[in-house]
Amino acid sequence: MLGRGLKRKLSDYEENMAGLSSAFDSSRSLPYPLKRQLVLNMCLTKLQTYKMLVEPNLHRSVLIANTVRQIQEEMRQESNQQPINVCPGITPSSHSYTGMESSGISLQLPSGISQQESNCCDLRSVEDPIENSLLIVSDDDMSSAISSILKDLDFVEDISPPTCLVPTGDDQPKFPENSCLKLEDDRQDLKGAECVFGSFEISNSTSYLKDLAIDDIFEDIDTSMYDSDFCCPPLMPPRPPSLATEEPLKTFPSCNSSSASNIQICRTDLSELDHIMEILVGS
Amino acid sequence: FLGAGGGNDIQWCFSQVKGAVDDDVAEADIISTVEFNHSGELLATGDKGGRVVIFQQEQENKTQSHSRGEYNVYSTFQSHEPEFDYLKSLEIEEKINKIRWLPQKNAAQFLLSTNDKTIKLWKISERDKRPEGYNLKEEDGRYRDPTTVTTLRVPVFRPMDLMVEASPRRIFANAHTYHINSISINSDYETYLSADDLRINLWHLEITDRSFNIVDIKPANMEELTEVITAAEFHPNSCNTFVYSSSKGTIRLCDMRASALCDRHSKLFEEPEDPSNRSFFSEIISSISDVKFSHSGRYMMTRDYLSVKIWDLNMENRPVETYQVHEYLRSKLCSLYENDCIFDKFECCWNGSDRQVIFNLTIPFFLPLPYSIVMTGSYNNFFRMFDRNTKRDITLEASRENNKPRTVLKPRKVCASGKRKKDEISVDSLDFNKKILHTAWHPKENIIAVATTNNLYIFQDKMN
Repeated sequence: MLGRGLKRKLSDYEENMAGLSSAFDSSRSLPYPLKRQLVLNMCLTKLQTYKMLVEPNLHRSVLIANTVRQIQEEMRQESNQQPINVCPGITPSSHSYTGMESSGISLQLPSGISQQESNCCDLRSVEDPIENSLLIVSDDDMSSAISSILKDLDFVEDISPPTCLVPTGDDQPKFPENSCLKLEDDRQDLKGAECVFGSFEISNSTSYLKDLAIDDIFEDIDTSMYDSDFCCPPLMPPRPPSLATEEPLKTFPSCNSSSASNIQICRTDLSELDHIMEILVGS
Repeated sequence: FLGAGGGNDIQWCFSQVKGAVDDDVAEADIISTVEFNHSGELLATGDKGGRVVIFQQEQENKTQSHSRGEYNVYSTFQSHEPEFDYLKSLEIEEKINKIRWLPQKNAAQFLLSTNDKTIKLWKISERDKRPEGYNLKEEDGRYRDPTTVTTLRVPVFRPMDLMVEASPRRIFANAHTYHINSISINSDYETYLSADDLRINLWHLEITDRSFNIVDIKPANMEELTEVITAAEFHPNSCNTFVYSSSKGTIRLCDMRASALCDRHSKLFEEPEDPSNRSFFSEIISSISDVKFSHSGRYMMTRDYLSVKIWDLNMENRPVETYQVHEYLRSKLCSLYENDCIFDKFECCWNGSDRQVIFNLTIPFFLPLPYSIVMTGSYNNFFRMFDRNTKRDITLEASRENNKPRTVLKPRKVCASGKRKKDEISVDSLDFNKKILHTAWHPKENIIAVATTNNLYIFQDKMN
């Protein structure tokens, strides 16, 4: 193992990730989409961790964001090439959050895995720990993760032009310079669907409470209860609501039936998710 | 072994090690920069605690002709203190990112040291005399009543124990929003540049309240940011030329005469990607961590995660030479990404001069022969040297074990795969916490300074 002398952190998550990266490096039989998914999850997790730092490292953030963009582009090209016929009734133009998230997820699964689906199922018993630890992330999760961290890195400068006001509830970062609403509108017009939800982190981000402008006023309110579960969760990059996560399992009965233990482990993850979502949504 | 011109091989020997012996490393003691001055007599280190320690080489002892002078502590001072930016609620680290010496003009020495935000010009001067013989004070130190003083006595300078004083002469602050990664003194010795992630500023050494922005790559919308500046350096001879490297593996050469804001480069150095080596981490490992001009200024060297590249300033489309530092890590990139080692910023350096003057017995006069070696660090406290003339390379280790003065260092070898031979070390046994990021080469002699996490090793070639 790498890092003799490296003090291993105790959390399962860290050990799991180290195991996964070793598997990535040493395994030749790991299918490409799986490798890609692993790298993507690592990137998003790092970006998420950096967001929680007071001052994220700009150099690293840019490198990781570029890696995510590269993977995102690759996945987009694949999904454009392959017919999306596995999930009837779900269109990419759906505007509800859950709809968008589930279609995002559904889009990714067939494109990435369908051609190697049989391989995946065969390998599932062997690669169970890897499969189960990989979380499918939508295109918008990726875009919003990149956007949010880069926006946060834009520091207030002494010489800066006056900007528009920040409306409350908008999850713009602390520094008003970066959050001109007009810019957001232009972006949305140009980039279409991807951008509609690019600025709406509320459902995606686990630390949305920190991003609200209200925080500047109520800094002394302890929001740690809402954040703590996401500091060291087992393998938890930003997740859509639990309803959407059940969609992939429902749409792929062939994969489901291949391993009972697979469902077992997934269900444990889902119940934890439910719990967390309850806290977030406050229901 | 390395072969220099004329068949003289360099045999590197351990000379000294500075720093704490115990394995428990205090954070403040982590060495963050190492730099020889222009004569090589002084060797400066900066650490994470904001301190600068300067070592001075002893004058060569005529009786001990088999070794060069040792380096001993000359001056220690606190260069930077931790600061708090109240506006942004951010702590500014006191870690010294870079030290650069000015050439000596008078008795005092000057150096620039910088942390993430502020550059300081320090004057290091010696005091070995003090005035004595005043008749203005009583024995106990109280001033005498002036009316009781009836004679005029001129104090005289008498020798005292040597005192080395460091005083900050200039403070260049508030010009960088992002973290400073480089400073470089111009060949005019009047101006210097400082570079952060997105901007490069030009300063005059005498003027602290103004700097000129000469490069700005910050996009209007930060979400469009895809590239940052990683290092910058002035050309050694041409005072209007400088280069800066990026996180995408490119180097831009700029001419300050072209325009005030050098956003358009004069030359762009970039090697096309090797498709066979493509991976998810290709871009990350292409990020350049250091750039250094050769002494002549004809070449420049860049360091990225796995290799050292030599570029001819006249050829932009690819480097003239590429040296693999630790190619065996290419198959471990995911693990190195997971533990963040892939972001380690290794520096590189040239040997003292481009030419070596040796006395060749077959042709009875001095020959200046090309003599070019580059050095860089790796993991497990290994460091590597590449001889550009013989194309030979060597791996050495900075370690307190098996290092007796004047014992020649044993070359190390890493076994990438397959059966490990005796004395080889396997990739999985490497200690990735023991990294050598900073190395320096004496400008005139074969003496090198190699920094491990908190120790400074000095090696020199074996003298016969």
